[in-house]
Amino acid sequence: MKIFNLPDLGEGLAEAEIREWFVKVGDTVKEDQPLLSMETAKAVVDVPSPYSGEIKKLYGQNGDTIQTHAPLIEFVSQDAPLKKDKGTVVGNLEESETILDEGDVIVGVPQKTSTTIKAMPAVRMLAKQLDVDLTLVQGSGAGGQITAKDVKEYVQGSSSTSTGEALKGVRHAMAKAMADSHKEVVPITLSDDADITNFPADADFTAHLIQAIAKAAEIEPAINVSFNGKKLERQFNSNTNLGLAVDTKEGLLVPVIKDIANKSKEELRTEINHLKNGAKDRSLKPEELQGATFTLSNFGVFAGKYATLVVVPPQVAILGCGKIREVAKVHEGSVKVRKIAPLSLSCDHRAVTGGEATRFLAAVIQHLES
Amino acid sequence: MAEITLVEAINQALDYEMGKDENVVVLGEDIAKNGGVFRATVGLLEKYGKDRVRDTPLAESMIAGLAIGMATQGLRPVAEFQFMGFIYPALDQIINHASRLRNRTRGRITCPLVFRTPYGAGIHAPEHHSESTEAIFAHTPGLRVVIPSSPKRAYGLMLAAIRNNDPVVFLEPSRLYRFAKQEVPNDGKALPLDKCFTLKVGTDITLVSFGAMLKETLSAAKKLEAEGISCEVIDVATIKPLDMETILASVEKTGRLVIIHEAAKTCGIGAEISAEIAERGLMFLQAPVQRITGYDTIVPYSKLEKIYIPSEQKIIDTVLNTMEFA
Repeated sequence: MKIFNLPDLGEGLAEAEIREWFVKVGDTVKEDQPLLSMETAKAVVDVPSPYSGEIKKLYGQNGDTIQTHAPLIEFVSQDAPLKKDKGTVVGNLEESETILDEGDVIVGVPQKTSTTIKAMPAVRMLAKQLDVDLTLVQGSGAGGQITAKDVKEYVQGSSSTSTGEALKGVRHAMAKAMADSHKEVVPITLSDDADITNFPADADFTAHLIQAIAKAAEIEPAINVSFNGKKLERQFNSNTNLGLAVDTKEGLLVPVIKDIANKSKEELRTEINHLKNGAKDRSLKPEELQGATFTLSNFGVFAGKYATLVVVPPQVAILGCGKIREVAKVHEGSVKVRKIAPLSLSCDHRAVTGGEATRFLAAVIQHLES
Repeated sequence: MAEITLVEAINQALDYEMGKDENVVVLGEDIAKNGGVFRATVGLLEKYGKDRVRDTPLAESMIAGLAIGMATQGLRPVAEFQFMGFIYPALDQIINHASRLRNRTRGRITCPLVFRTPYGAGIHAPEHHSESTEAIFAHTPGLRVVIPSSPKRAYGLMLAAIRNNDPVVFLEPSRLYRFAKQEVPNDGKALPLDKCFTLKVGTDITLVSFGAMLKETLSAAKKLEAEGISCEVIDVATIKPLDMETILASVEKTGRLVIIHEAAKTCGIGAEISAEIAERGLMFLQAPVQRITGYDTIVPYSKLEKIYIPSEQKIIDTVLNTMEFA
């Protein structure tokens, strides 16, 4: 047996009068379903059912007065428990039997740490722009804070304590040109060998190679263009002006042989010698260092086989020749000792396609082998 | 030992302190015979009698004034306001008198009292019953403002609030009243009134919250943990005075801060914490400080309540965005 007593319908009201029953004996009601309307000293209110179940008995009829906490309805007993007293006349409290497991709650600071980087957001941004890892920078500001000056000095290798040699002149220009190229160019390199077994040992191979370049540039002119990376424009060059990489004590110099297509081997040799000497004694005129549309690096004079070379804009390609050597090579169906020139062609893939690069290199090899 | 709810922990603390100190009295609307709308004071009348457990008329300004009078004469009253939305008639008493009696009398008269009130949304109640205007009290010099978020802290902080000689506004998140249970030893041990509580230690980002929002904050932190983001979760607990040392130490470690509260954004406690970090912790920041708050509007009726209260998903999204800053 389960009896629902009249709850306090207001704030400390002693009784209430039944105005109208909404349910009768035998009805099955749901929780919160209105059971009856009651009039108190304050207002007329509907009384909701505290739980679901079947009604067994009503204590009173319309017009009867019921004392607060006196029996109102009897329900056929069910398992459902009585709605718990949660207080509150307004709203509904979320309720659970969940046991709160907070683990270890720490009063105040969990632990002292001071390995953190101290730097203002602007300094962090500067470090990001300069690609500086702030964990490596010593802070000189208040409380060990890293300042913008600290970051800049770190980048410069902290000049005050440096014992290094500052780059000057040609070497400085080289460093800058190489870095600029690296920032901009999208390089690709392909390598192959030219079989020069039939080339006379006492003949001028460099002049021969330069003529091969001139010939190949005619066949594949896309390799002999000037490229503007900002506007994404290329300009075909009518002449092939060849920059010749010359190693000097002061650094890399690249004097230029103009219009190589219209020069004989002898003329080329004379000019090569003149430029090499001029590079060594620094007697070259400015115009002799300008206007290259393609570069040749004969790095193999000393050692080396293949290399990735650095293209210097606005040029789009550079050819490197490694050390000429004899190799065991399959030739006409059998292994023979052959003489080869290992070649590497680096191009700026923004301006030159892979097809153009391979066609150019094939043309160079064909000319060298003929 | 039985596990108890947050509202039962409040009751346990009141009971403990009334048993120990006869100067402690409780008063408020329906708090004696009825035991309070949420039953926070149930059983106290029977145990300590009507002199110490008093029902008051429905007049909040009077409740506050009465408590102030009692406090100045040596009692330690704990006054209940039925809902935070009903506290405003008492603001004159609270701000003009309770908060500044010590200053006005040059330290001769203190005002050791506690103003208790259920606060916050999430119980499907109409307006006035869903307020979280804690910033009004935090902004008032001379008041301490305390908000527990678990039964244990409700017990320990309530004891501290009663024993403290300053007026304390004690805001009880009604959404958490019966939400979960916890073992709370009735040992009379108070918790510090000026400290944050670090609920979860983490390394990637600091989540600062208080009151009922810790529920969403902790569950968000748990889900973020599964995604490999280690959150440090701090319960401010006492929003005035604010324990910036703990928050600063955490931000120094993580470099990232998200503040979560239910109250409206403008001039909320989140703004205060954010400003303190800008003043004292800027050099540690790896990402902008973010606030997740309620809207600058009256808390809507129950159907829209869920939209008003910041969601777990909103916290997760904000944390993920904050982690984008490398």
